[in-house]
Amino acid sequence: MKIYFHLNLSGFSNCYIIVNENTKEALIIDPGKITPEIIEHIETDNYKLTGVLVTHNHESHTNGIKTLLKIYTPVIYAADSEIAGNGTVVLKGDGVISIAGLTIGYMSLPGHTPDSMVFKVGRILFTGDSISSGKIGSTSSNYSKNTLISNIKMKILSQQEDTVLMPGHGPPTTVGAEKLYNPVIAQDYVIPPIPLS
Amino acid sequence: MYLHNNCIEPGCWNEAISTFNEQGEITETPGYCFEHHPEKEKITQDIYNYIRNHTKIVGLNASGITFENIDLTDKRFYGCFFQHCKFINLHSTGFRSRMSMFDFAIFSDCNLLQSNMQFTSFAGSTFSHTLFTGSDLIQDNFNGIQSYQSAFDDADLYNSRFVKAKLIDTSFRNCNIKKTVFMGIEQQNVSFKSSNTREAIYGETDSELFMGSTTVGEIQ
Repeated sequence: MKIYFHLNLSGFSNCYIIVNENTKEALIIDPGKITPEIIEHIETDNYKLTGVLVTHNHESHTNGIKTLLKIYTPVIYAADSEIAGNGTVVLKGDGVISIAGLTIGYMSLPGHTPDSMVFKVGRILFTGDSISSGKIGSTSSNYSKNTLISNIKMKILSQQEDTVLMPGHGPPTTVGAEKLYNPVIAQDYVIPPIPLS
Repeated sequence: MYLHNNCIEPGCWNEAISTFNEQGEITETPGYCFEHHPEKEKITQDIYNYIRNHTKIVGLNASGITFENIDLTDKRFYGCFFQHCKFINLHSTGFRSRMSMFDFAIFSDCNLLQSNMQFTSFAGSTFSHTLFTGSDLIQDNFNGIQSYQSAFDDADLYNSRFVKAKLIDTSFRNCNIKKTVFMGIEQQNVSFKSSNTREAIYGETDSELFMGSTTVGEIQ
């Protein structure tokens, strides 16, 4: 398995392509914009695009779906059925799906939006806008903010410390780093001394 | 980036470091993490040799290893793991990294001049006498770093984050710090001379979006 990262310059969102080299299948997470580079990644090695995973229904994460559906016939997986109409496989709660020969875990994580999802592939979490390095996603009310923080603690920070977080915006991070340096949630955790030997 | 295997030591949940076949190429065979590896010197040497013999390095996991006096000039790392590594007296020009993780690493007396590192994480790392002069460090994670007598001069730090960083005798002269986040930093003798500080984010007031504020709209 390989993961490729593409920055969507119009919305500064992150788009990820995951390819299974054994089955020659690929899937895309949060196609904010489909660029020639993304198509080239899929086409050069003759990958078959079998799935699209959407972390939440915001334009900078979904705008490329229309383009993809003109070229390929992927199944769209999201928590909001409006994303691709009848073609959407609606995910609810937490569970596991198999796409492109890969086992992918999904967790519902409302807060930033009601349909926010987090996807887990191996030890990598694709967190959308729920959490990124040093910040949490914006919310529309204090209730949503508390829900988001509670869900992040329960579902993301409970993962192993070396779990990599690939966010919808900004640089990558790890669960261990967020526990220590994310101002919103770090107060509950203690910074251990760094050995200098 | 490859998926990595768990350490095969019973009860250990760390990721295994990379293993190599007879041709010296990375395999996906299960192995040990560095802490439990029975042949620490051999695996360290294997990783040194792999880095020495390859220019493009994809999916290498070398977490926990100490690298000393190594030249990474023109090396390209994609999706590699160097968490908790120690880099001592490392020298490079034109070092390149994408999607690599250097979390909680220690860099001492390192020159990483004119590097190009994008979408790379150095969270919780310690930099002592380390130079990133003239580097492109776009969308990198420097949260919680401790930097002593180090320089990011002439660097492009666009959209990188230094949240809760401790910066002592560190310079950011003539840098592009547009959308760079310096929230909650501890600083002592830090220079931002000739950098576009008005475009950087130094506190919550600079960006209400930052704390998941209830008064602003959603990040698109």
